[in-house]
Amino acid sequence: MVPALALTVDGMRKAGAGAQGGRFIALFDPNRLIAAIAHSGDRDAFAALFDHFAPRVKGLLMRGGAPAELAEEVAQETLLAVWRKAGLFDPAKASASTWIATIARNLRIDIARRETRSRLSQVYEILDEEAPEQPDATLSGAERDARVRAAMTQLSPDQYRVVELAFIEGFSHQDVADRLAIPLGTVKSRLRLALSHLRGRLEDLR
Amino acid sequence: MNIVHRPSDETLAAFAAGQLDEGLAVVVACHIEADQESRRRLQNLEAVQGALLDKIEPVAMRSGPCDPNADVQTGSASDISEAAHETGMPQVLRPYGFGPWRPIGIRIAMRRVDVPGASARVFMLRAGPGIALPHHKHTGVEWTTILAGAYEHEYGRYAAGDFDEADSEHDHTPRVDPVEGCTCIVAMTGSVQLQGWLGRLLQPLVRF
Repeated sequence: MVPALALTVDGMRKAGAGAQGGRFIALFDPNRLIAAIAHSGDRDAFAALFDHFAPRVKGLLMRGGAPAELAEEVAQETLLAVWRKAGLFDPAKASASTWIATIARNLRIDIARRETRSRLSQVYEILDEEAPEQPDATLSGAERDARVRAAMTQLSPDQYRVVELAFIEGFSHQDVADRLAIPLGTVKSRLRLALSHLRGRLEDLR
Repeated sequence: MNIVHRPSDETLAAFAAGQLDEGLAVVVACHIEADQESRRRLQNLEAVQGALLDKIEPVAMRSGPCDPNADVQTGSASDISEAAHETGMPQVLRPYGFGPWRPIGIRIAMRRVDVPGASARVFMLRAGPGIALPHHKHTGVEWTTILAGAYEHEYGRYAAGDFDEADSEHDHTPRVDPVEGCTCIVAMTGSVQLQGWLGRLLQPLVRF
């Protein structure tokens, strides 16, 4: 069963098993799974992606304060969109996780703001479509992701926590300050420092 | 386009995370569309989200995958407004409706941008060469992307593609470029204390 597989991944990641983790990552290769959907409508590949990503999208939404029902709906819709858009996935632009996170973001906006007739997800899609070719872009999505992740590990635990809270739960400084029981000014300066650190580390990513 | 003024890290991060009010987000998007550098920063911040997704504690789904082929996709019905086809109009404004250009003074006109669900007010402003925009202070934020021409105030010169992120600490008096004039898109939150005759005209734009 695939869910058991997903649990194994978690276990291994938490254990921080370097070599084993590396071996496992070769086993769960989302790029290959997405390509299998694009080429042959591979249901098994879809099931494997679903089992890995749907619970994470749901977890992300719930951490952000979404009710379980909404989080479940966004997760379902996100994976359906992965099925439909598999042919559009371009590993040169973004890693699978990043691509799926942006789909989830857009669907969360669509679904959570349904009653207000929000068009914001279309704005994100237009920005993505209209992106000009970058002839000097030497960095693949995977390389970009690796660099971003490396930069994130260099954040202090305090800075990491503030970034995580801001991205997942929102940029209201007061909420973050309340959650962490630290003064408002500290939240502001920590977030600013963390983001400027990330930017500094990524400045040469062209 | 020689863009020198960009959104703060925090604004771009909130945009990447889908956490901005739609009105503010639209004005940020107009800037990103014009600016390669901000687009690259946005991609990096989206990669931060990808990394967070990988690290999140998964929550078990109540139901398994639906049959993906049974899914009837209606597609987001995007009714594109006439105005969106005008030249010089940013592509990201395609999903929105616009009001007509209305003169609100001598050589100043504005048009409403309908952003349903936004708490910020969004409008385009077109001002003739050399005009001084009203001196004002506000409690919320006022974000502007210049679409054509330029203006200048205490913090520098803002030309096509530039993003002007003013908050309540700013107190500025923009002066429109004496040759080119200026067309910009603005999102405002909070209340504004406007001074002078133009201030009184702009006042109804601001939601309290």
